[in-house]
Amino acid sequence: MRLARSDIGLKRVYPLLESLAALIVGVIGGFIVAAALGYDPVASISLILLSGLGNLEYLFSISMPLALSALAFILPLRAGLFNIGVEGQAYIGALAAIYILSLGLGFPLPVILAPLAGALAGFLIGVLKVYRGVNEVVSSIMLNWTLFYTVSFTVSRYLRDPLIVHQSVRVDRMLPALEALILTLAIVIAVHIILYRTTLGYHIRVMGSSPEALKYSGGSESRSIIVAMTLGGLLGGLAGTLQVYAVSGFIDVTMSAVFGTGFMGIAVGLIGRATPIGVLPASILISALIIGGHRLELRLGAPPELADVIIGVMVLALSAPYALRLLSLKLWG
Amino acid sequence: MTPRETTVFMKGIVKVYPDGTQALKGVDFEASKGEIHALLGENGAGKTTLMRILYGEIKPTKGEIYVFGEKATFKSPRDALRTGIAMVYQQFSLIPSLTVAENIYLAASSVKRVSLEDVKARTEELSKNLGWKVPFEYTVENLPVGLRQRIEILKALLVGSKVLILDEPTSVLTPLEVEELFKVLGNLRDEGMTIILITHKIREAKKISDRVTVLRRGLKAGTFNTLEISETNLARLMVGEEVELAIRGGASKPGTPALVVEKLKVKDDMGVLRVKEATLTVRYGEIVGIAGVQGNGQRELVEAIAGLRPALEGRILVDGVDATKLTVSERRKLGLSYIPESKLVGLALEMNIVENSIMTSLLQFTRRLLEVDWGKARSGAGDIVREFGVVHRSLDDPVKSLSGGNQQKLMVGREVNKKPKILVAHEPTQGLDIATAIMVRRRLLDLRDKGSAVFLVSSDLEELLSLSDRLLVIYDGRIVSEGAPRDYALEKLGLLMGGVIEAGQE
Repeated sequence: MRLARSDIGLKRVYPLLESLAALIVGVIGGFIVAAALGYDPVASISLILLSGLGNLEYLFSISMPLALSALAFILPLRAGLFNIGVEGQAYIGALAAIYILSLGLGFPLPVILAPLAGALAGFLIGVLKVYRGVNEVVSSIMLNWTLFYTVSFTVSRYLRDPLIVHQSVRVDRMLPALEALILTLAIVIAVHIILYRTTLGYHIRVMGSSPEALKYSGGSESRSIIVAMTLGGLLGGLAGTLQVYAVSGFIDVTMSAVFGTGFMGIAVGLIGRATPIGVLPASILISALIIGGHRLELRLGAPPELADVIIGVMVLALSAPYALRLLSLKLWG
Repeated sequence: MTPRETTVFMKGIVKVYPDGTQALKGVDFEASKGEIHALLGENGAGKTTLMRILYGEIKPTKGEIYVFGEKATFKSPRDALRTGIAMVYQQFSLIPSLTVAENIYLAASSVKRVSLEDVKARTEELSKNLGWKVPFEYTVENLPVGLRQRIEILKALLVGSKVLILDEPTSVLTPLEVEELFKVLGNLRDEGMTIILITHKIREAKKISDRVTVLRRGLKAGTFNTLEISETNLARLMVGEEVELAIRGGASKPGTPALVVEKLKVKDDMGVLRVKEATLTVRYGEIVGIAGVQGNGQRELVEAIAGLRPALEGRILVDGVDATKLTVSERRKLGLSYIPESKLVGLALEMNIVENSIMTSLLQFTRRLLEVDWGKARSGAGDIVREFGVVHRSLDDPVKSLSGGNQQKLMVGREVNKKPKILVAHEPTQGLDIATAIMVRRRLLDLRDKGSAVFLVSSDLEELLSLSDRLLVIYDGRIVSEGAPRDYALEKLGLLMGGVIEAGQE
């Protein structure tokens, strides 16, 4: 028996409409804050929105690590796990990349080996959860700082640039932008295939829907947790790798090149509605906003955080449809 | 007969849920002072929806409600409570970690300002009139369900309700507790209360009510003085057409043991021993049923058999192999299939119909490189949906968008369509309409006739009696009786299930 199909098409585009609506709400939020701070809201907001589009190569180079760290967040999320540790995984991935590149090893070895460091961090979080019952959010946050200082120490002690003391050695042969872009796209597609076409992804999604159902289906909860967190760590590590290998070329002791890649990836993952394909437009949008924020500071002297306001309000607005659904159930049941 | 004073009058009530389900299609309902009014109907007839509207919990799409002669528009149950309408749900709304007194106080204080002492004193007085003892200082989680229900009723009385709605109040009770409850309800009626009893049990409606209103698929089939209508006529009105209530397969030809449970002990999630030395055998080619009031260890027993819960002691043999320590999938490979009682266990609600249809047979749908064969899965899902009449928009819709009955059909259809060698079915027909329930029962008989072993756990005694080749009774974690279904009269079964008599002293 089948019911009418009429509204199926609408349902498909629903997430996209919600994300667009969230963008509008975010822009309005930025508008208000800009006006409240005494800057010309129209000029500031249009600068934020449009100036990122001026240099596409730069735009993509910012968005690639973000897309990867977003994947690092959403893959475990589909299993019901919050990988807040993307940030630390990116640090350690970046460090490993610097080290491997400093040995003179070229493509593809850095992008194969360096992410393993992130995978190890993810694996540790998963193992702690399975065998010691440690909530992954808690261990992730702690691990982020542990890795921050470990990387900082290692850079200043062993991988220091002989001329600039607080910086690491530079990568002499960077990955060309086009190759980095193709790699990123391939990874997005790979994650999509893993999630939707393989038994592994199937188990991950069943667990995200109901851990009891996973047990019933014959899948192992422990294995799914560890595998999902390890894969998340691998992707987080790759985000850091690409950040130094294709974008910045070095890291410093304050991690300024990588700092925020993981956390912003969480926002990108949410704005992409936790789907690998959705991550692509979301990462480009967020990168444009980030670039716009910097341009804003240069041109109008306004704080670049105005862009963060827009992103923040967007993420909040995205949770609104859910809240609205609950509310409408209550009011009109 | 004196003219009765109408307390509740609902006119032309229509309810369309946001998903388009028409729960009520224009129902009139009227109840009077000093009567017990049974609201009779099958699962999904709209009984509970109608009463939740009266209680102000959901809003009608159309229709008017009059309470004590005045038009009522309740915004929430609080408004209904203030007007004197209270409802006791199947799922009690008590806070388990609070004491009885605190729970009653919580309810009373939400309607008007009172002190805890005052509440206690008045509860004491009320319960004395009803002949109940109230264990004020106990936390609710330590109380048996029968007592919890009494607390719910006391809550309702304490806020001064004149209309008491009870949603399937006997479903969790033993026969003795039911007697007790009915006595109290009778007294309350004599004091002038209006009691509305939602039930799907004809016998119950016949026994306790003064009038009965029958609902069928969102429409009223009629209101009658209970004395003036027979059980058979009520059944006919409820179902709408002559249905063959009892189905029987031919005689069974039991073969070798398929499933053997020996001296099994199992604990529940709280660490309480729930299965205390259960021993049973199910052979190929027979259906073995197990009867019992919910919460006597059935769930823990079947979960241990399925491999979802560890056995504390004892052995489980599946197809002659010791499976006590085997995983869920290893047991499945031995031919064991399991329909769980809860849809939260048996379905991934966020995922779509195709994805759910392969949940228990993923290996059959896997190609090399661990790739899921979605084409094959889709055609299998199509078969289930067609054969079991799962109403759906698209196979790509998440299962949570299906109604409860349709989710159940999917969950049952998935296992039955696999033609398992051994099937453990826990409440396989819960929430299904009669026609589908009968179809499912036929399929179970069909499995048996083709040589499968079926272990059936159900709270529907008619289902158990009509399907089982052998019937077991479980009480307090022990199998207390075993025999052919024809050996059990309903009354005897009730006494066994209630722990009143034990095997041997029948």
